[in-house]
Amino acid sequence: MRRAGRLSSRRPSLFGSICSSKGGRIVSKKKTLVCAVFVLVAAAVAVGGCSSVQVSGAEQTDRTGGKLLSDQMVLVEGGTFKHKRSNYSGGEVAVQDFYIGKYEVTQKEWTAVMGSNPSKFRGDNLPVDSVSWYEAIEYCNRRSLMEGLEPYYNIDKSQADPDNKSEIDPLKWIVTINEGANGYRLPTELEWEYAASGGQKSKGYKYSGGNKPDDVSWNWRNAGNRYLKGGWSWQSIENNENRTRPVGRKKANELGLYDMSGNVREWCWDWYEDQMVESGMFRVVRGGGWLGDVHTLEIKFRGMFDASGVGPDQGFRVARNA
Amino acid sequence: MFKKKKLMAVLVAVAMVSALFAVNGASANTYWQYWTDGIGYVNATNGQGGNYSVSWSNSGNFVIGKGWQYGAHNRVVNYNAGAWQPNGNAYLTLYGWTRNPLIEYYVVDSWGSYRPTGDYRGSVYSDGAWYDLYHSWRYNAPSIDGTQTFQQYWSVRQQKRPTGSNVSITFENHVNAWGAAGMPMGSSWSYQVLATEGYYSSGYSNVTVW
Repeated sequence: MRRAGRLSSRRPSLFGSICSSKGGRIVSKKKTLVCAVFVLVAAAVAVGGCSSVQVSGAEQTDRTGGKLLSDQMVLVEGGTFKHKRSNYSGGEVAVQDFYIGKYEVTQKEWTAVMGSNPSKFRGDNLPVDSVSWYEAIEYCNRRSLMEGLEPYYNIDKSQADPDNKSEIDPLKWIVTINEGANGYRLPTELEWEYAASGGQKSKGYKYSGGNKPDDVSWNWRNAGNRYLKGGWSWQSIENNENRTRPVGRKKANELGLYDMSGNVREWCWDWYEDQMVESGMFRVVRGGGWLGDVHTLEIKFRGMFDASGVGPDQGFRVARNA
Repeated sequence: MFKKKKLMAVLVAVAMVSALFAVNGASANTYWQYWTDGIGYVNATNGQGGNYSVSWSNSGNFVIGKGWQYGAHNRVVNYNAGAWQPNGNAYLTLYGWTRNPLIEYYVVDSWGSYRPTGDYRGSVYSDGAWYDLYHSWRYNAPSIDGTQTFQQYWSVRQQKRPTGSNVSITFENHVNAWGAAGMPMGSSWSYQVLATEGYYSSGYSNVTVW
């Protein structure tokens, strides 16, 4: 399998030189204000210009009291769904403000925290792939500790989760949450769909950021050597050397979030449940990836995968409380 | 696996009624499934209506067939394999997917050198012959929903079905048998095709589906 290449260069971060405190974690209010302005400008540029280059290193304070927040996190204003055709449209479901990653977690980010890289396709700016739900949970806590944040999850590996009814999950860790913690976490399914649909800025797209899948996503048709037509076929995908692509190369959605549709599927916190599948069997995955059919890219598509499952199209993005 | 059996039974019944109307209104068998892995020689022709033909020689793996973009549990699939001449490993099979949950299913009427098997779950008599039911898991495998751990359902005719005449696969018989064996279908139907699948073999098939 041919490996995807890296971005050819990384631009030095203007915000890194201006906003980051030198060796410390606390940023003054004045600097915070300056940073916030720059971040807003950056966000506008990123959304409008469909930038393909990741900025890095810039940080600001979050709204939970002085802890640092990477500029790669976007504040999502809460509220009820504006999107008319989501799974939550027309109801009273309201979402609280929260932060969510502008990009899927990259391999560079993953390796810096976890020390190794499980991905099938290799490249610093490719999304990490082949991570289970449990590994994503561990990443969140370890990254929180590295950045001086309070871990969001309590992980008990010593006994099996009685709520886990899966026949094929050999781990079954008991994972509970510290509700008020400011550390990294997975988005809930509700948060994921709200963010993918554009939140309060929603334009009602079918896919996150547009109505044409190829404009906003790396998917089974466009993620290989040539553009595939016809019906979905794994064999044709494999033969076409489909793969993940560097994050942030497609059009962002209304909130400036990239790759919410496509590239890799993203773990959510929740158990999957519907009329046919009881809770405790699978965890929710959303957004589709380079491998599944186009229907999986839709904002409203609800995917599921066993928590210990791994695949070359399975990654995640992080969230935090606001 | 899924404990909400009563609820599921109701839902399946509702789905059956809904699908009945959907099938009666469906027109045609024009969905064309074509894939080869590029190995060896495979020459496929998408014929008129429900006809297709494929000639292969020292092939890799390929799946070529004709059918419907959306499957249905109660579809009677009629076909005539005017030519079915596998030399090596190949299947003549009804093939498709459901979602919620994700199921890959096969009703195999004929094969070449290898008769597929799995975890035996019983037998069903349909369209003049007995079929053996098999169940298997595929772990972390590619699927139309992305990587999944999913189930495969098989109905494999005990003897190869004679070819060259008009025959039917009453799919509902297999669906019901699978259901009775604890193998329910998903609630959402993806494509459903009568296919020729070859695996490192040679041969020729000419099939018309309606």
